[in-house]
Amino acid sequence: MSTTRLIGAAGIAVLVVGPGGPAFGQGPQEAGSRASASAPGPLERLADGQPNVQGVWNPVNAGSLSLTNPVPQAADFDPTIKPLPSRIIDPPDGLVPYQPWAAARQKLQGHDYAYPTKPEHIDTQHRCLLSGVPRLFTIVPSLKIIQSPGQIVFIWDSYHAYRVIPLDGRPHVAPNVKLWMGDGRGRWEGNTLIIDTTSVKGQRLTYIGDFYSENARIAERLTWPSANSMIYEATITDPTVFTRPWTMRVAQRRRPDEEMWETACYEGMANPDQFLLKSAPGRQ
Amino acid sequence: MRLRLLTFLIPATLLLLAQASAATAPDGAVQAPGPVAIPRAPDGKPDVSGIWQVLNTAAWDIQDHSAQKGVPGGQGVVEGNEIPYQPWALARKKENYAQRADVDPEAKCYLPGVPRLMYMPFPFQIVQTPKELTILHEYVHTVRYIFTDGTPHPPGPIAWWLGDSRGRWEGDTLVVDVVHFNDATWFDRAGNFHSEALHLVERYRLLDADHIQYDVTVEDPKVFTRPWNMSMILYRRREKNVQLFDYECYGFDWEKYYPYPEMRPPQ
Repeated sequence: MSTTRLIGAAGIAVLVVGPGGPAFGQGPQEAGSRASASAPGPLERLADGQPNVQGVWNPVNAGSLSLTNPVPQAADFDPTIKPLPSRIIDPPDGLVPYQPWAAARQKLQGHDYAYPTKPEHIDTQHRCLLSGVPRLFTIVPSLKIIQSPGQIVFIWDSYHAYRVIPLDGRPHVAPNVKLWMGDGRGRWEGNTLIIDTTSVKGQRLTYIGDFYSENARIAERLTWPSANSMIYEATITDPTVFTRPWTMRVAQRRRPDEEMWETACYEGMANPDQFLLKSAPGRQ
Repeated sequence: MRLRLLTFLIPATLLLLAQASAATAPDGAVQAPGPVAIPRAPDGKPDVSGIWQVLNTAAWDIQDHSAQKGVPGGQGVVEGNEIPYQPWALARKKENYAQRADVDPEAKCYLPGVPRLMYMPFPFQIVQTPKELTILHEYVHTVRYIFTDGTPHPPGPIAWWLGDSRGRWEGDTLVVDVVHFNDATWFDRAGNFHSEALHLVERYRLLDADHIQYDVTVEDPKVFTRPWNMSMILYRRREKNVQLFDYECYGFDWEKYYPYPEMRPPQ
């Protein structure tokens, strides 16, 4: 079931990235018009005042491989398909503003991802460990939103990942606590959910080795221009790794509200270490 | 005067009777003498949302057991304390116990299955909507859905770690039917096990705002000679600002390799 759905999601991703397809940063109306659920309309309100955004969502154009130069997988089959514009909307050049040491590290990690020779070269996502925030908002598989009074819950169809965001203004956990999904606190401003996340672990962001450290703080804005489209933005501030805060944007659209079935991940999987190479071309 | 004494005595006697019946309630749970207010969802069903956790030692052994190094002793959760294994299965259980350090699926970081997940020594959070209950477990961030929209189990065979859970409200009791298991999970760290033919009927009933009576009927004709029952209480975590943390489990030496050394800043 989930495999079928994954293929379905990938198929749609291919569909929308074809030549002349909607580019990144497209208007929300266009994203909404491709949704297969009910017609767009004003967001209804739940009993506790939250806009009702429950249901299943996934990115119009995902960014698993790269945020800056997202090559659609379809390009493997059709060389006329061009890379999409960067998901990064700030800085204006669309690049991650790494400090020099971190830019070198990112490059090495990208190289090691392609030619892994050591256990630590394997992306933790391939070990079924939690990929954290904002990475899980940029992957192809769907996420589901459930709201109940005073909180909003995100659940991913892969890795059985979830994230509970309290909306009651409670303080963050102590800064020495590090959580795989970070410690998020949210509030609504109209149709925009603002989440402030601290206590993250150092995480990778893409297969090409983008990363942040455990000193990162993440400010997310999830805006619903209509009932069927959402604009996801995350600003990452990490003075250990970057020269300035930077922001990514990934448009999301509503998917059919299907039951999510079990997606065990780690169970029974082949040990990724067996795929390590005995040797690799030299790093540049 | 006599009349006044009577008017005092009658309610007092009634109260005593009520308390006596409470003490002898058949399931051993404390019963309040009158109707107890329980939280209710907007649809009128009991509202079991919140963060819950058991306070027992069933994670180590669902039967009565004494303490050992690293294992708290405790009363079991199996009614009658006997698990009616078929002879071959009892031998297998003893084998499992002897080899538990190596063959317990929990030691491999696999999803622990149902009902084991419900009495791991970690909290879990229930998010309730009219269509479904979503149970978020701190232990390996497991997500379990109990669909309550009247839909049937999907046709099998399906081998899931947590099975397929379909629930319905019988009065104020949530009755959940669980099928479609694999044969790879255990009930505890003592080697109690089942086959893929496992069928559970769980009952969740709020005793008051902060306690759920949780009963499970276990049926597996391949392993047991008859159905048997588990019974325990789920306690609401009431600490101020209580929230789930995470417990990631990995069957390899994560700390040795991650964070990836080159993700660390220069010293």
